[in-house]
Amino acid sequence: MSAHDLPAGRRQRDPRHDNVDEKADSMDNHRPARVAVLGAGLIGLDLVDKINRSDALTCVLVVGHRRESLGLRRAVAMGCAVTDGGIEALLHTGADIDVVFDASNADAHEHHWTRLEPTGATMIDLTPARLGEMIVPSVNGEHALTTRHLSLVSCGGQAAIPVVYALAAHTSLAYVEIVCTAASATAGPATRLNLDDYVATTADAVRRFCAAGEVKVMVNLSPATPAPPFRVTVTALTRDANPETITAAVAGAARRVQAFAPGYQISSCTVTDDRITVTVQVEARGTRLPRHAGNLDIITAAAVVLGEQQAAAHAGGHR
Amino acid sequence: MLTITAPTATASAASLPAAAPHAAPRVLLHDATLRDGHHAARHQLNHDQLRGYAAAAEQAGIAVLEVGHGNGLGASSLQIGRALLSDAEMLDTVRAELTHTRMGVFLAPGWGTGDDLRAAVALGARVVRIAAHCTEADATQRHLGIAAELGAEPHGVLLMSHMADPHKLAEQCALLARYGARAVGFYDSAGHFLPDDVATRVSAIRQAVGDDVDVIFHGHNNLGMSVANSLAAVAAGATIIDATARGFGAGAGNTPIEVLAAVLHRMGHDTGLDQRAVLQAADLAGRTLMDAPPTIDTISLASGLAGVFSGFKLPVLAAAETHGVDPVDVLFELGARGAVAGQEDLIADVVTTLRGARPGTP
Repeated sequence: MSAHDLPAGRRQRDPRHDNVDEKADSMDNHRPARVAVLGAGLIGLDLVDKINRSDALTCVLVVGHRRESLGLRRAVAMGCAVTDGGIEALLHTGADIDVVFDASNADAHEHHWTRLEPTGATMIDLTPARLGEMIVPSVNGEHALTTRHLSLVSCGGQAAIPVVYALAAHTSLAYVEIVCTAASATAGPATRLNLDDYVATTADAVRRFCAAGEVKVMVNLSPATPAPPFRVTVTALTRDANPETITAAVAGAARRVQAFAPGYQISSCTVTDDRITVTVQVEARGTRLPRHAGNLDIITAAAVVLGEQQAAAHAGGHR
Repeated sequence: MLTITAPTATASAASLPAAAPHAAPRVLLHDATLRDGHHAARHQLNHDQLRGYAAAAEQAGIAVLEVGHGNGLGASSLQIGRALLSDAEMLDTVRAELTHTRMGVFLAPGWGTGDDLRAAVALGARVVRIAAHCTEADATQRHLGIAAELGAEPHGVLLMSHMADPHKLAEQCALLARYGARAVGFYDSAGHFLPDDVATRVSAIRQAVGDDVDVIFHGHNNLGMSVANSLAAVAAGATIIDATARGFGAGAGNTPIEVLAAVLHRMGHDTGLDQRAVLQAADLAGRTLMDAPPTIDTISLASGLAGVFSGFKLPVLAAAETHGVDPVDVLFELGARGAVAGQEDLIADVVTTLRGARPGTP
């Protein structure tokens, strides 16, 4: 069954849709991995955009709940088949799906995974539900191929953990604090409802990746205009940190993230006797998102990198 | 309209002049001394200080006494300032002194979590303020729900409210009410408003939420307007006014509760307070909670004009002194960037930028 035959495929198609076949041709006979996106909010739509730009992925279906929602209408305009029937509709299509991105909300994720697991598809979770294996591509991306259920922690986790991981490699961390500030317009309704999960999941992930005595995470949603870029400040209490080693390690960590999220920048790194403070700013550098939406950009970019990795492994397996 | 009535009784040695008969609506004063005051005390109030003031507030007939870190439950941090006592220690200490006075707490989702809220209610918090920046009301939905489930009285409040227009604030307050808040309102976190600004906003909110929900105003005194702004709020229909003893609070301080109580009393509003005991509580606060009463110094005035969160005062002064820049410049730059409470990490950024911009600096 092709994407075109799916129930919502009868909606007016965007010419982009035909790119799907071009992608397949350009893949040297390896078909792109077939992916679906759960959720048509800010994150879901940005995923669709990045998937459409990827040679390795093709978006088969975008799953929402309300037929007339702005999100689903936008997904149609972006050339996607859509359904408003939730995860059940995705399963009922019988479509052969390799990877499902969950960009819905933390509360819905467990059900989504329960339903998807028997199909053999890989789940990449962008909600802060923290049920799957937590993956930060520049830190443990290689683990992504050993599990079918990946959790991308949170956008703050994707921005902060590479830094904390680099610090932990060079000094002992008695206490780590992460403060994330996102522009109001970049936090959709699910994010706002899930702030507790966001905080808990981000803190859990820091503990999982880095030996740290105590971890605290805070989130600000800024109403400022013009909207400020996504900003994450990591403050660590430590002893005997070498400023040069730390600065170099942080810069190295940033370069590894920039490989897939070019708007990721260390805006300051201060090392004193007992404290390290690193501020990261993330801007969206693509064409669709406004520059300040770096929080969306970093987590969708991470998701697509992992999806492409799955696609490559899949193709390799068929050789 | 409010009627201003001259005192009608002669003061005795033991009592203050009697108020005008209660012709004007009842106003509930919500005492934030042990929460907002923490900003002025670098979050370092100890057991004895909390205990002493809580007992005095109980004696004065305070209806709600709010306690906690300056930014509320869960907010003790390097970013905002670490508190001397844990949330649980503060709540335990204060709760032990209260009989009729209800204990209040403040929680901004993102700074604190539902678990912090559950712990606070288990320790006796009865009134729960759930806060969000002025345009972010929907970030409170889950926690207002938790507060109601726990049987606490849920209030929804908007911070940094000068950053939104009256229509927007009213719309956001209507959301808070829809999420179950029994009282809704706004904080003049930067002490930026003038009385007309407050009146316009309270009227818009009152119109949006109807008469079944209390409307809250929380003032700061950066421009010397805290009492006047609070009166404007009452005249426009606000029914809960936040205040603190001697104005103990962030920046130039809050609305002084003893002054506001006296003025409302003269205007014929019933506040339910024992006026004499309120003065004693304020005296106690002056003696035991603060080194000096809050004043409108240059920093606080600049902060009010720039629209910067009053709680930034001490961190801005510290950073400016360390790096040899003018704290007033820092405040105006923070205002230009739209810094909000919780974004203390921007202070270092601004200081570095200003230091770099200074002629002759390498």
